[in-house]
Amino acid sequence: MQPQPALKSTYKAPPLPPGWTEHKAPTGHTYYYNAETKESTYKRPVTAAAPPTAPSANPASSFWQHQAVPQINLSDPNVANAFMSQYGQPQHQPGQQRGGRGPGGRGGSHARPKPQPIDKPRSKVAIPGHEPWILVYTKYGRRFAYNSAKNASYWRIPEKLMPAILELDKARIRQKAEGKALDTLQGSEGPPEKTDGPEEQEKDYDSSEYEEVEVTDDEDGGDGHATKRQRTEDPDQSENNGPVEFTEEDIAAQLAAMGADYGEDYEMGQDYDDYDHGEAAPQLSDDDARELFKDMLSDFNINPYSPWDTLIEQGRIVDDPRYTVLPTTKARKEVWEEWSRITIQELKELRQKQEKKDPRIAYFALLQDKATPKLYWAEFKRKYKREDAMKDIKVADKDREKWYREYISRLKLPQSTLKSDLKKLLESVPLSQLNNRSSASSLPPAVLTDLRYWSLDTKSRDEFVEGYIAGLGPPPDSGAEQGAGEDEATKKAKEERRKRERALQDRERAVQEEKHRQEKKLQFERARLREEERELERAMQVGKKGLQSQLTPQEGERFI
Amino acid sequence: MPPIRPSSKRKPPPDGFSDIEEDLLIFSNKMKDAQNAPSDNIPKHQAQWPIFQISHQRSRYIYELYYEKEAISKQLYDWLLKNGYADAALIAKWKKQGYEKLCCLRCIQTKETNFNSTCVCRVPRAQMKGEDREVQCVSCGCRGCASTD
Ligand SMILES: [Zn+2]
Ligand SMILES: [Zn+2]
Repeated sequence: MQPQPALKSTYKAPPLPPGWTEHKAPTGHTYYYNAETKESTYKRPVTAAAPPTAPSANPASSFWQHQAVPQINLSDPNVANAFMSQYGQPQHQPGQQRGGRGPGGRGGSHARPKPQPIDKPRSKVAIPGHEPWILVYTKYGRRFAYNSAKNASYWRIPEKLMPAILELDKARIRQKAEGKALDTLQGSEGPPEKTDGPEEQEKDYDSSEYEEVEVTDDEDGGDGHATKRQRTEDPDQSENNGPVEFTEEDIAAQLAAMGADYGEDYEMGQDYDDYDHGEAAPQLSDDDARELFKDMLSDFNINPYSPWDTLIEQGRIVDDPRYTVLPTTKARKEVWEEWSRITIQELKELRQKQEKKDPRIAYFALLQDKATPKLYWAEFKRKYKREDAMKDIKVADKDREKWYREYISRLKLPQSTLKSDLKKLLESVPLSQLNNRSSASSLPPAVLTDLRYWSLDTKSRDEFVEGYIAGLGPPPDSGAEQGAGEDEATKKAKEERRKRERALQDRERAVQEEKHRQEKKLQFERARLREEERELERAMQVGKKGLQSQLTPQEGERFI
Repeated sequence: MPPIRPSSKRKPPPDGFSDIEEDLLIFSNKMKDAQNAPSDNIPKHQAQWPIFQISHQRSRYIYELYYEKEAISKQLYDWLLKNGYADAALIAKWKKQGYEKLCCLRCIQTKETNFNSTCVCRVPRAQMKGEDREVQCVSCGCRGCASTD
């Protein structure tokens, strides 16, 4: 699946100041690193000396182009990541609900959202009749109410301000109409941007703001677009732009505070699957994620021979939190493949070690238990045909018969012969397999698959074997080292598992917090949208009437 | 798709069969269900699709166990082919370049198709346009099995 390019403007990033380089974090975020100062930041550094904007007709316009967010210099991208998430998430394609442009229509491709510059105040206007209150427009076309006396901001515009803001909106619509007419008439600020067709007028009054969001981005400004707002807005506004009633830092802090509550952006209709959650959560390392997934497969006792589809159909693992540590089905299947291959190999090795345990051992044990000189082979066979050891297809019946006869004949031998035969057998086994660490209950296959071991009665045999083992030396050095090495490896593996499980817990917690925040944000956004719609409706109703009375016939003709 | 031999008429399976017995049973049950599913409301050619698909999955399963995971022995693999658990002819195609994902043998038999050419599902997705991409082939319901898909 191809990642989708984020909806972005034509804005080109200015060159980085010397010393800084651009990097992609594994999460897809871009961050910047300064090799000299060892600083890293998510925020694109700008050359300190460079003025943010060219001087424009309205000096205040440059004020709004400043970076509104305090410079974050976190040397560890992980820390920075965490910081950003609590700060209200890196900005993903903000304000889309305004322009009605959802993520592109291409089927099913979930684009990992690109970090966007943080929303920031762009312009402001005093709310007439509510003096300490200011209406602030953000770069992404949102607005909030700011009480400059109390230094408090609200996304949800207080009810008492509504009528006044409505008036502002109406004024703005009129201004827009007049401003456009004026532009066309004057033609002094360069060519008219468009020949205003009828459709231009039909757009909702926000369209020019949206346009602004589209074409301007981040620290650039001072180009033609930046002045547009001034052209189209209430001239009264300039007086608000003059004296600094609240500083850039203030407003940035306000935005940040609001952002922390609600997040800075929200895309309507975006489904919050694990992919998106992973974005905000502290990142697990790729290796940890893979190992956690494997731990899960092992813990569920998944049959490593089973096909992937069966695993998914059974659905046992999909609810485990470790299932989603890997972002895509493709990645999960890949890790499962690796795990099943390894697990099957381990099983194979284990079996090879135990290989000789059956089938002869089980049959010899049966002989020792049941065989007696009183029974002929045919009788014995008939009598015990239901025993597993008699049914095991890996042993030929011919062999069973041969061993039966051999066993019966050995039963007739004196104890001393049987003991010396057993001694010979034990002596033939190398020290690596049989030594003072062996026990009578865990003897090597070489002993267990020999009839000489089974011919003595159990009690005297075990006593004899134990006595013999006690007199043996320790296992050869190489063996001892291997054993110790395995212990060390097991310990290390356990420790690593603990570590990655802790990392997972941290992540889970963050995911939960993020989820909670998203829910809050969703509720909030819904409420806000409803409010805006209502507000817009009212504004349009009044606005149409207002416009009709405002426009002279000649000016009106220009639009048609 | 040769039918699976009944267990009464075959040699006992080689070592390792018990590891995969359960999954083979799942495939067998799916196959039975597919064969017994009512097909009254389905176009005749479509009724066969589930059977082809399960057969394909089972062959793929055995192919991967042997060639990709080295999980089963040559003896067991041969025994499975011989007893109809996997389609040897289809697997033979998978080993050839360009046929790594082939859905079924019918789809490369030129004689049976109307156009005297291979099946539409063999056309790489990248070369298909718009609605053509949603096409399922007539013989087995494949949605595309070109190696580049
Ligand atoms: Zn096909
Ligand atoms: Zn096919």
